[in-house]
Amino acid sequence: STSSVLSTEKDESTASKDSTTEVASKSQESTAETPKQKLLDIIGNMKVEVSYRKKLQQLKTREIKKQATNKLEGPDGKGSMLQKTTEDTQRGKPLSPELVEAASAVASFLPLNKKQTESELIAQLRRHEETTDKQKKGGTINIRNVISEMAVKRQSPAQRGVRISNRISLELDEDGQRIKPERLSPQSSDSRSLKVGRRLNIFTKASTETENALKTVSSPTIWDLEFAKEIAAITAQPPRNGFEEMIQWTKEGILWEFPIDNEAGMEDNAEFHEHIFLEKHLEDFPKQGPIRHFMELVICGLSKNPYLSVKQKIEHIEWFQKYFEEKKELLQEI
Amino acid sequence: MAASVLGWALRAARQVSPAPSLPSRSYYVDWRMLRDVKRRKLAYEYADERLRINAIRKNTILPKELQEVADKEIADLPRDSCPVRIRNRCVLTSRPRGVKRRWRLSRIVFRHFADHAQMSGIQRAMW
Repeated sequence: STSSVLSTEKDESTASKDSTTEVASKSQESTAETPKQKLLDIIGNMKVEVSYRKKLQQLKTREIKKQATNKLEGPDGKGSMLQKTTEDTQRGKPLSPELVEAASAVASFLPLNKKQTESELIAQLRRHEETTDKQKKGGTINIRNVISEMAVKRQSPAQRGVRISNRISLELDEDGQRIKPERLSPQSSDSRSLKVGRRLNIFTKASTETENALKTVSSPTIWDLEFAKEIAAITAQPPRNGFEEMIQWTKEGILWEFPIDNEAGMEDNAEFHEHIFLEKHLEDFPKQGPIRHFMELVICGLSKNPYLSVKQKIEHIEWFQKYFEEKKELLQEI
Repeated sequence: MAASVLGWALRAARQVSPAPSLPSRSYYVDWRMLRDVKRRKLAYEYADERLRINAIRKNTILPKELQEVADKEIADLPRDSCPVRIRNRCVLTSRPRGVKRRWRLSRIVFRHFADHAQMSGIQRAMW
């Protein structure tokens, strides 16, 4: 565990090196071997630093907190378990008491003014909480992220002439029509593509408008209907191209919807047992005799038919029932 | 409020507008095609009944008197309701013979379109 602590601290030290060069750092303590001294170094540098790389700081505070509590558990055994989930479960201003305890413990390690460091650490924690909440909701806009992806495009004057001449072509096709210049694909043909990169959170999502379900007004007047029909007739322009024509046909029902759904018209939400066990529909028939035999054969055939819906099968059986009812007198003569 | 009502009426009008006003094609290629169309419609309507009455007729279990009654009943149905009378004519020219079933076209029309590259996936055979 101590080796892992060491490795993470080394990462932090390399990270903090960029900031230390820019900021007037406190006196760098002599490079001590113990991890405790290294921790103190980092905390000392962090405290004085003007926060201008916020994210880095937050990372550091988080990791330091964890390490501090780990250290507390190890040598001192203070028994304050900093769970990783406390930061997630926390919402709003009040910090968890464990974090406050950890902050006070860290402050006690430092050789400097105890109360000041403690208050500063707690303030940083608060800011950290705020930003994590905001970022979870996706509210913060990092201009750095936006600009980092952009690149300035330079056009040489020699190439400009080429590009302009590309737009107007003077060649003629076989039929006597001009050949158009080849168009680029909608995605830029440069090395960047549109779908790569981090979410920038520049635009807010459009809130879905809830439609008014209640129509409090009684049926609209004839004039309203007429007006609506007029508008519909005017706005329904003839289709500009084949695609729009196909869209119109699909709406009307002339064209099928693709990919083709074999069960487009019929919706049979029946379980398999309703298809197969059709004997319950045979209750009105006589139990013995040729009619029963015949109907059992009918049911056997229907149960094996996958192309009919349950309704259609029941209709078949009911028709037979009616038919045999009508022919009852005839049957009794026999 | 008025706007929402108008919007609803507009939507309804949009859905209804194509159906009554647009005339569908009222001329078939010739009278024979029209008669064939009528036969198909009737055959579709009476298909279930014919199936059931035939099930009673082609039976060894039921008594023969019942089957004779069923015979009479099916003969009483309109003559155009039997599917045997349907002829698969060419859709464009109403030619009764030389019609390929997959495309519903007669051989002459099929050749015409295929040569003008208007039949998807059709190529002149050569091997």
